[in-house]
Amino acid sequence: MSERKLKLLHMYPNVLDLYGDSGNVEVLRYRCAQRGITLEVYQHLMNKPDNTDFSDMDIIYLGGGADYEQQLLADDLMSCKDRIFKAYENKVFLLMICGGYQLLGKYYKDSNGERIPGLGLFSYHTEASTNKRDRCIGNIIVETELVGKKYKVIGFENHGGQTTDVKTPFGKVLHGNGNVRSGETEGYCEERVIATYLHGPLLSKNPQLADYIISKALERQGADSTLAPINDKLEEACRKELLTRLLSK
Amino acid sequence: MKPLNFLTVLFGKAMVKTLKLMGRDAGNFPGLVLWTLNKNYLKVFSCDCPIIAVTGTNGKTSTTNFLNNLFRSLKGKNGKKAKIITNMQGNNLDTGIGSMLLQYCDMNGHIDADYLVLEVDESHVPVIFKHLKLETLVVLNFFRDQLDRNGEVETLILKIHKFLKTYNGNLVLNADDPNVARLGYSNPKNKNVYYYNVEKYEGATDELYEAGEGRFCPKCGEELAYDYYQYSHIGRFHCPKCGYGNIKPYVQLQSIDFENNSFSFEGESYTTKHMGIYHLYNLSAVYAVSKLYNIDHRVVKKVFGKFEVNNGRLEKFETANASMLLNLAKNPVGANMTLRLLNQDKGEKELLFVLNDNIADGTDVSWIWDINFSIFNGVTRVVTSGTRAYDIAIRIKCSGYDPDRITVQPDLDKAAAEIFKNGGTKYGIANYTAIQPTRAALKRYIERKGGEKS
Ligand SMILES: [Zn+2]
Repeated sequence: MSERKLKLLHMYPNVLDLYGDSGNVEVLRYRCAQRGITLEVYQHLMNKPDNTDFSDMDIIYLGGGADYEQQLLADDLMSCKDRIFKAYENKVFLLMICGGYQLLGKYYKDSNGERIPGLGLFSYHTEASTNKRDRCIGNIIVETELVGKKYKVIGFENHGGQTTDVKTPFGKVLHGNGNVRSGETEGYCEERVIATYLHGPLLSKNPQLADYIISKALERQGADSTLAPINDKLEEACRKELLTRLLSK
Repeated sequence: MKPLNFLTVLFGKAMVKTLKLMGRDAGNFPGLVLWTLNKNYLKVFSCDCPIIAVTGTNGKTSTTNFLNNLFRSLKGKNGKKAKIITNMQGNNLDTGIGSMLLQYCDMNGHIDADYLVLEVDESHVPVIFKHLKLETLVVLNFFRDQLDRNGEVETLILKIHKFLKTYNGNLVLNADDPNVARLGYSNPKNKNVYYYNVEKYEGATDELYEAGEGRFCPKCGEELAYDYYQYSHIGRFHCPKCGYGNIKPYVQLQSIDFENNSFSFEGESYTTKHMGIYHLYNLSAVYAVSKLYNIDHRVVKKVFGKFEVNNGRLEKFETANASMLLNLAKNPVGANMTLRLLNQDKGEKELLFVLNDNIADGTDVSWIWDINFSIFNGVTRVVTSGTRAYDIAIRIKCSGYDPDRITVQPDLDKAAAEIFKNGGTKYGIANYTAIQPTRAALKRYIERKGGEKS
């Protein structure tokens, strides 16, 4: 069997770096390494033009940022529009958290009333209340079927933006708010797209979701996409405890 | 005497007394009640002694304690030991300080002391010192804390900046934190701005090693350039565009010697109990204040060499054949600092990490992913505890640490017994609401079993 290798492009790691989001990359790297898969991480930095071929990547990752930072990078993101669209057409896996989620929609109207144009790759859009204290904050549990069966995804949400016009949500909210305050659905997804408000970081407590992303990325290469089970005892115990605590309320 | 002030003080003191009779600590409560009645209640207090205040994200309690010890060794007005009034950790909001002043003031609201040495929450500096005349303000650092994850750090800095625009007292600033150093420009007329820092130490890095805050020039917006990073975003920075950051410090801690726990200021050698780089920055701030107040360096030497805070700040717990150094970590920077100490220590050791997600902790624990576990020298075992014991265990595992060497024990008493199962060196990290319960559990363990060998 030939050596398996994946390439991940981390966009704006210095700017979209709300607490812990870069942990998603660490989880992916760890879970790849446990299976002998090399995960190469590339970066795209704000206002540092590069010739990276986004379509040559297997995964593109965008984390979350504060309003101020999202505004800062809007222009740079726009300059990457064609490359991101092409990567999407080429089935590169897109993983986007919070701010990353918002910026790939039509637009984001932030808590200062500023309208930041999104890339428009997806048709949803987001508006935040101008009352900066009006935010959805707390633990959240979402049930997704993306991974081929019902799977409870545990995370932490903290967003002012309310996202609407979401055609195919990531999952059903079992605890917490989701796309809108007291909403029924959370995030957006396609077979090779996960866009969500969940921090935590997202993949830390949801190992099957992390493995789904790795498998899909391998599948696109035509490589063997089976992943041997690894020691997830801590993750399982953590999930059991949090699900009991949050869902029994 | 203003009758209204008299009534406010009388009422406030009565509350303090009642609480004490009930066997309770006054805490924030009396101040909170007065604040509810009158938002400007702090103006009932008057005080003619110097007020020295310490603010910043990390290190307030330790720095305030060191200053408190320094000033206490001076002579007071009456020729005896100086009378110092200082607040306890946790009572650093306006209501906590108000409650404390109520206990010390006379019926006119007058406070009789030689020095007031206060730890003040970053967001409460303006409201407190609108009414109390501040003589010296020490600003340590600004890091992102759990509760302010949406650009609130910037809001906080701007609040203090606004207050400083008309402030002419002593301003003691960390020269190596771009977010603190910028406050030196708030009032261009203030001639009393003093910077402190620490010379480059052996753990300094060329690249940012831990998550940091100060990326862009606060004056012109250009990305800052660093000669080196001491820890997090603290280091020698400058702006390549406008020159911001070319600061000549008033005092600099030099000749750091980890073997002998020593360092120097202006050619004089000093020692301290712990050599964490962030602790050295705090001591540099303390030294700057001692210089401003002409405190004899022999006094400073004694305080630096002997004093320990012992409130979950690098606090030592010992059994017959084991010892633990426990440290509070409210944010990644705090935890990274303890890991630096752990990595500096060449031998084998075990780590206890206690993580809670209570409301005062900010409920979100994702910040633990910004702790840098990539270097984890000689750690033979990890015990995790607290309401989020599993989260921290997963985090440590994903940094590449063998999960079979991690024991999760959410119950603190059991965790204390677990970590002391073996003898040897231990390190402990606990977050905000976890630190006091952890101390209590360690003490209970030592009381029961501390005399026996593990
Ligand atoms: Zn500049």
